[in-house]
Amino acid sequence: MHTIERRRFMHGAALGALAFTVGGVETLLTPREARAQAVPLRTLRPEEAETLEALGETLVPGARQAGIVHFVDQQISVKPEEALLEARILNVRPPYVNFYRAALAAVERASTAVNGKRFAQLDAASQHDFVDRMRQNKIDGWQGPAGSFVYLVTRSDAVDVVYGTTEGYARLEIPYMAHIEPKTRW
Amino acid sequence: MATHEKVDVVIVGAGASGSVFAAVMAGQGKKVVILEQGPDWQPTDLISSDIWGRRVKPVAGPFLLEGKHPVSYGNQGGWGVGGAALHYFANFPRLLPNDFRIKSEHNRAHDWPIGYQDVAPYYDKVARDVGVSGDAKAEEIWRPAGDPYPMPPMKTFRNGDIWLKGFEANGIRMVPAAVGMNSVAFKGRPPCIYDGWCHVGCPIGALANPLVTYLGDARKAGAEVRPFATVTRVLSNDAGDRVTGVEYYDRAGERQVQEASAVVLAAWAAQNPRLMLNSATARHAKGLANASGLVGKYLMTHFASGTFAIFDEDVDNHMGTTGAQWMSYERYGKTSHKDAFGSTFIVAGFALKTNDLGGIANARLDLFGPALDAFMKRAARGMTRITAFGEELPNIDNRIELTSDKDAFGMPLARMIHTYDKDVEAVWNANIEEGVKVAKAAGAKEVWSARGVIPTIHLMGGTIMGTGAANSVVNSYGQTHEIPNLYVAGPGIFATAGASNPTYTIFALSLRGAEHLAANWKTVAG
Repeated sequence: MHTIERRRFMHGAALGALAFTVGGVETLLTPREARAQAVPLRTLRPEEAETLEALGETLVPGARQAGIVHFVDQQISVKPEEALLEARILNVRPPYVNFYRAALAAVERASTAVNGKRFAQLDAASQHDFVDRMRQNKIDGWQGPAGSFVYLVTRSDAVDVVYGTTEGYARLEIPYMAHIEPKTRW
Repeated sequence: MATHEKVDVVIVGAGASGSVFAAVMAGQGKKVVILEQGPDWQPTDLISSDIWGRRVKPVAGPFLLEGKHPVSYGNQGGWGVGGAALHYFANFPRLLPNDFRIKSEHNRAHDWPIGYQDVAPYYDKVARDVGVSGDAKAEEIWRPAGDPYPMPPMKTFRNGDIWLKGFEANGIRMVPAAVGMNSVAFKGRPPCIYDGWCHVGCPIGALANPLVTYLGDARKAGAEVRPFATVTRVLSNDAGDRVTGVEYYDRAGERQVQEASAVVLAAWAAQNPRLMLNSATARHAKGLANASGLVGKYLMTHFASGTFAIFDEDVDNHMGTTGAQWMSYERYGKTSHKDAFGSTFIVAGFALKTNDLGGIANARLDLFGPALDAFMKRAARGMTRITAFGEELPNIDNRIELTSDKDAFGMPLARMIHTYDKDVEAVWNANIEEGVKVAKAAGAKEVWSARGVIPTIHLMGGTIMGTGAANSVVNSYGQTHEIPNLYVAGPGIFATAGASNPTYTIFALSLRGAEHLAANWKTVAG
C-alpha cells in the first residue's frame, strides 16, 4: 500500500478555475472573473443567458455577480464526462445543453403567459412569486421539464457559484479546510 | 479489432469488488487485467470541492431511470478507477444474522444461501486488510462476537455528541461507528484529519478507498489496469458452458477482445446485468447465465429518513467525516416498528459542506432568495443531522432491462425501473417520526424532516445469489450457476438488502468469492 504524505497535497493544488477562451486564447478564470471580463458565451444565447442570470439571482442573491451564466455556459460546452454540474448527479441525460434550453424556454413561455413579460423584465417581487410557484409545480400551462426540477437544478447551480466556492465558505465563516485546494477561489 | 494475449482473469470494473478479486488473484500469481470504463484516477485528482468531486461520478447516459422512485444512479455510482468506493462515506456496519434468514423467520422475501457465520470471518479479514476503526465489543450487544477492530474509534465532535441525550431518552443505544478510516496511522497510511471531504475522495489515504487498499495491492502484485476501456459483451464458447473473455472499446473507440480463463463482472449492480443481457447467444438466448430469467431482477436500494436540527450553540459542523460518528442497530429487528416491516440502521454526526446534494443549502430545499441566505448563516453554526437507513425487500418488478436504443458503442441502453412498496413507506415514516422525537429530546431549537420523495441510496440486487438456477443467478461466491468460469461481484449478488451501508459487505463477499476462485482455480478455469 502507498505511503501518502499530506503535505504534498496541500501544495499540490491544481485544476481549479475553468477554461474560458479570451481573445482566442484559452485561459483559466473563475466564473466571476469570466463575467467581469465579459468573456463571450460559447453556447447559451443572449436571451437564455439573461433569463438564467435573473433566475439565478432570484434563487440565490449574488449568483449574478458570481457568474452563474458563465459557469453553466462553460459546463454545457464541454463533454458530459468533464461537466461539473449538479445536473450530472441528478441524472439529467446529456447533452446537458438540451435540458437548459428546454428549462429556460419553459420559464420564458410561462412568464410571458402569466405576467405578460419575460422573466428578466419582472420586478423582484414578481420574480420571487413566479419561482415560488414554479418550485411547487403550480404554474398553469407549464410546458417543459417539471418546474420543481428546473428549480432544483438551477438552484443548485446558483448555490454552487455562491456558497460552494472558497469565497462562499469564507463569507459564511466556515473553514474550508481543503486537502487539495481548488485553484484560486474554487 | 485487436485480440490481446490471453490472461488468467479479466475483471470488468476497478471499484470495491473488482479490486478485491484483482488483489487476491494477482497475489496468487495469476495474470490479471482490469478493464475500467473511466479514468485512472490518482489521489492527487481528488480535489476538495463538491463541484469538482462530481467528476468521479457517472454520467447517466446508458440508463433510463424509471418507476415512482427512480434510482439515484448519478449520485450513487462511480466513474473511473476506484468506482463508487472512491467517493463513499466508508461507514462499515455489517449485515446481521437476521438479514440472512428473512424467509425462515418471517416468511418474507428469501433467505440467503449462507448465514452470518459464513461472512463474519471475512468481515474480520477485511478489517485487518483495509483498516477499520470502531469498538467491536460495544457492537456485540447486537451481533455475535468477532475480532476487535484494528484501530480505536474515531474522534467525535459536538455535531454528533449533541444527539446522544435524545437517543438515550428514546431507548436507542448508540455506539462508536465502525468506519473504514484511520483513527491512527495504519499500514503506512496517515490518520484522518477530520476535514469532512471524504465524499469527494480522500487524497491522503486515511480512508480505505480501493486506490490505497486492494487495488494498490493488486498493482503491486502485477495486475494491469486499463482505463477508458468500455466492455460491451462477455464472450462465450459455442457450447455455452464457458466464457472466453470480453469485448471492449478503448479510448480511441477501437474494438478490442481480451481473452481470459475466467471473467469477473464487477461493474456495479447496474452495469453487470446490462452486460449479461447484452451477451446473449444461441445457447443463452435470454442473456448470459440467465436461464432463471432473474438477471436484472430484484433491484434494491436503501432509503434514508433524515432529521435535521438547529441547536442554539455552535456544533462545529465543519468538523468530522462524511461518514458517521455514532451508530445503532437498535431498530434493526425486522419488526422494530409497528405495522412496518424491515430493518433500520441509525447514524449520527457528520461534517457538513455548503453545497451539493448533501450540503447545508439542500437541507431546506423550499428556501430561496434572502430566506435561503439567512438560513445558511444560521445553519452554518448550529445545524446537524441524523439519518436512519431503511431496508427495501426484494421485488421482482424492480428491474433492469435492455431497450432498443443504443449507446455510442452500439450497446443497448438499459431501463432501470424502481418503485418502493408500502413497507418502505411505513418504515420511512416511522423513522422520520422517531427522528423528530430524538431531536426534540436532544434539545434542538428547530427540527424538521427531509420529506418529499423517498430517496434511493445504494444499489443492490439484479444478479442475486441463491441455492440454484431456479431462484437466483449466482451462488454464494458470486459464481454463476450456469457458467463456472463467470463470476459476478459486488452488491448485485446480495439476496436481500438489509439496512447497513453495503461496502463492508461488498468487500467481505468479494474476498470470500475471490478466495473460492483461487482455491478452485483448476476446476473453474483449467
